[in-house]
Amino acid sequence: MHSIWAVALNTIRQALRMKIAAVFIVLLVVLLPVMGVSMTGDGTIKGRLQTFISYGFSLTSLLLCLLTIITSVYSVTNDIKQMQIYTVITKPIRRFQFLLGKLLGVLLLNVVLLAMFSAVIYTIVIFTPRYFKTDIAETTRLKNEFFTARATVIPAEEDVSKEVEKEYAKLKKDGQLPPDVLASKSANDKYMVWLTNQKKLEKRAAAVGHEIIWKFSDVRASEPNQSLFIRFKYDVSVNPPDSLVYGRWFAGDDRQLPYDIYAFDRKDTIRTFYEIEIPGDAVAKDGYLAVGFLNVPLNNTVVIFPPGDGLELLYKIGTFNGNFFRSVLLLLCRLIFLACLGILASTFLSFPVAILLCLVVFFIASISGFVAESFDFFGEGAGIIYNYTAVPVVMLLPQFDKLNPVDYLVPARILDWSLVAEVFGIMVCIKALLLLAIALLIFSRKEIAKITI
Amino acid sequence: MEKQEILNMEYAIETFSLTKVFADWWGRNRVCAVEDLSLKIRYNEIFGLLGPNGSGKTTTIKILLSLLHPTKGRSVVLGGNATDPKISARIGFLPEESYLYRYLSARETLEFYGRLFKLPSKVRKMRIESLLDMVGLKAVANRAVGTFSKGMARRIGLAQALINDPDLLILDEPTTGLDPIGTRQIKDLIIELAKRGKTILLCSHLLADVEDVCDRIAILYGGKIQSEGKVKELLQRSDKTQITTGHISDMAVERIKQIVSSEQADCVVTSPMDKLETFFIRIVAAAQQQSQPTSGAVSTTQIGNFLTAGESILDKLVSAGGEQSRTANPIEQKLSAQTDTQPAHKGPVAADKEYQTKPDEQLLSKLTEQPKPVATEPVVTDKNAKAQQLETETDEKEQTSKSILDGLTEDGM
Repeated sequence: MHSIWAVALNTIRQALRMKIAAVFIVLLVVLLPVMGVSMTGDGTIKGRLQTFISYGFSLTSLLLCLLTIITSVYSVTNDIKQMQIYTVITKPIRRFQFLLGKLLGVLLLNVVLLAMFSAVIYTIVIFTPRYFKTDIAETTRLKNEFFTARATVIPAEEDVSKEVEKEYAKLKKDGQLPPDVLASKSANDKYMVWLTNQKKLEKRAAAVGHEIIWKFSDVRASEPNQSLFIRFKYDVSVNPPDSLVYGRWFAGDDRQLPYDIYAFDRKDTIRTFYEIEIPGDAVAKDGYLAVGFLNVPLNNTVVIFPPGDGLELLYKIGTFNGNFFRSVLLLLCRLIFLACLGILASTFLSFPVAILLCLVVFFIASISGFVAESFDFFGEGAGIIYNYTAVPVVMLLPQFDKLNPVDYLVPARILDWSLVAEVFGIMVCIKALLLLAIALLIFSRKEIAKITI
Repeated sequence: MEKQEILNMEYAIETFSLTKVFADWWGRNRVCAVEDLSLKIRYNEIFGLLGPNGSGKTTTIKILLSLLHPTKGRSVVLGGNATDPKISARIGFLPEESYLYRYLSARETLEFYGRLFKLPSKVRKMRIESLLDMVGLKAVANRAVGTFSKGMARRIGLAQALINDPDLLILDEPTTGLDPIGTRQIKDLIIELAKRGKTILLCSHLLADVEDVCDRIAILYGGKIQSEGKVKELLQRSDKTQITTGHISDMAVERIKQIVSSEQADCVVTSPMDKLETFFIRIVAAAQQQSQPTSGAVSTTQIGNFLTAGESILDKLVSAGGEQSRTANPIEQKLSAQTDTQPAHKGPVAADKEYQTKPDEQLLSKLTEQPKPVATEPVVTDKNAKAQQLETETDEKEQTSKSILDGLTEDGM
C-alpha cells in the first residue's frame, strides 16, 4: 500500500505540474459560471435551470472523461517512453502495484475535480432562483417540477395479440393478405410483427373525437395530497397550421359512478414536452388513477403519443439533493471505467494510439443505443463467428447515453439507488474490473525495457 | 534447490547461458544482443562489464533486472529473481541515463524513491539530506530536476540508487556527463562502497574508469564474452620493467644505462608527466577553497553515513586518515583498495584490515592544495614504453610506495 500510494501521489503531481489538469480546470471554472448566466432556456426560471443543468452536467462529464483518458494514458505511457519506469519498477514494487498506483492517482484527481465542479453546478442551480427573485407561483412550480425527484410511471402496453390474430384471420378470410406472406414463413413472421406494431400504434393514437384512457395502479406519493404530473408530448399525422393541438384531459377514478374526475382544457404545441398538474386527491385510496385524453373536434388530425416517453405520470418520492448526488455518482462510474480503459490501453499501446482507442470507445459508448441497434440489425444475417466475436465486444462497451444523469435531473425524475447500484455493478465491478485484470495480466508479462541495440 | 543455495552463498550475480535475441514483430531481422553469457560475480567484488557500443552490456543489465526477458538461459541475482521485492530492496540501479521525473525537485525525487522502499519517514529524511550532501546538490534541492544539467541529473540518479543502502549496486555508464571531479568522486565512491561490503557491477566503455576501480572485468563484443579476468592479471606485462627514482644525477643515469645495456636491453629515460585529471582537480579544488560562486553542483567528499555494511568502518577510516591530512576523504581512502585486487572474500573485517595499510601520502598531497613539483624525478623505463604517460593513479601510488615498480601499466586498448 505504501508503494501504491507513492506512485499515486506522483501521478497526481504529474497531472498537476505538467499542466494537463490545469487546462481542464480553467475551462470548467470559466465556462460553468458563464453558462449559468448566459443560458436562458425557454425564458422561464425552470427552463433556464433545466438548460443550465443539462449543459453544465454534459460539459463537466465530457471534460472530466477526456481528462481521465488523457491522464491515465499519459502517466503510464510517458513513464515507459521516458524510461522513468526503469528506476521505478526495479525498486521493491510489484508491477500490479505500479498500475494500481497509477489508477488510484488518476481516480483521486478525478474524484476531487468531480466534487469541485458538481459543487459549482449545485451552487449556481440553487442560487439562480434567488438571484432572479421569482414570484410565489414560479417558486411553487420550481419546487414541484425541478427541485424534486419524482417517480415515473409509464402506462403498461396493452396486450394486442388477440386483436392481431383476429385481424389476421379476417384478412385471410377476405383474401387481403399479400401473396408472399402465405408463401413463406419468414415473410409471414415479418407481416405479423408489422401488424402487431400497427395495433400498438392504434392504441396510442386518438382520432378526432375519440379518446384514449390510461389506467395506473399503485400510485403512492411520499406525502398525502401532493400534486401529480402528467408529462406528455403530442405527435400528429397531419401538421396543424399553427402547430397547436387542442385537447381535453381527465384524471380521476372512473371505476364507479359518480365519477370523481378533474378535467383540463389545453392547447399545446406539437412535439414539445408539457406537464399537467393533477391534485393529489384525484388518486383513489387504493392507488388507482385513470388519465384520459380527448381529441376534440377543433383539431383536424389524429393525435399520437409516441412510444417511450409520449405519456408518463410523475409524482414526488425523493429530493433534488439526493438525485443530484446520485447523478454525480453515475458520472463517477463512467470515470472509473474510462480510467481502467486508459490504463489497459497504455499497457500495450503508445500514447497517441492508446488515446485514439479510448476516444473511440468513449464516443461509441456515448451513442451506444445507435451502435447496439445497428449491430442488432447486422446480426440478424450474421453467423456464429459474428455472435462469438463482435457481440461480446459490443457487450463490453458501457452505455453512457442510456444512463445519462441529465435525463433524470432535467425532468426531475427519480434516479433510484437501485439503478446507481446496477450501473456500479455492471460498469465498475464487471466491465472496469475486467479491463483492469487484463491490463495487469499484460503488464506483468510485458518486457518493460525498450529494445535497443 | 539446495544446489542453488550453495551457489547463492558464493555469487551475487550468476547467469547461466543467458541469450537474448531481438526480432521485429514478424520475427525478421533477428539480432543476437547477448549470446550464451555465463557471468559469475562474487559478493563484495567490483566487476566491470566492458565493450563497445551495442555489445550487449546494457541488455545484460536489463535482463538481470527483469526489464527484459531472456530468450534462453536464466540469471540469479542475490540468490533470487530481481522482481521479488525482497531482492530488489537490496539492489541499487543507475540506468545508462538518469531517467527522472522532470517535474519533481531533487528532494521530491529522492522522497519518491525512498517511499518505494517503504523507508520510515525519519530514516528517509535523514538519508535524503545525507545523499543530497554527498552528491553536492543540497543548494539546488528544491529545483525541478528537469532544469538540471546532465551531470547534475546523473548525481541525482546516483543518489536514488543509493537511497536503500543497497548490497548490490548496478551502475550503467555511471560517469557519462560528469565533470572530471564528479567522475573522480564516483570512482572513489565505488571503491569506498566496495570496502563497506557492497557488490558493484559497473558497465562502461570508458576504460580509464573501469581500470581505476574494478577488481575483475569482462569484455563483451557481439554479445559474447571475449576476455574475462582480474584487471591486474590481464594488464600486467611481465616482459618489461619500470624503475622510478627520486632526482638523480646525469652520471647515475649513465651508469644505469650501462647496466641495462649489459643486460642486452634498451632503455629510455624521461621525467613522468602529471595526469590531466589530477591537474584539473587540483585547480578546481583551489578555486573551491576561495569560495568562488557556482550555480552548478558543488563537489563534496562526504559519503552518506547510512551506507554501511553492518559496522561503522567509516569512522575508523576517517580517524586513521585524519592523521594524514585534514582532507581525510574517500579520495584518499580509495588508494588502499587499489592495491588489493583480490577482494573476492573480503568481508567487512577484511576491508577493515586492509585499511590499516598506510594511505598514500603522495597522492594525498596532490589532491589537496600542496602542488607537488611536476616532472622533477627522472624515470627509467624500458624503451617503447611511451604509453607510460597515460599511467593511472594506481601506478603513481605504487611507484612511490614501493619505489620500484615491477609492473608497468599500459593503455593497450
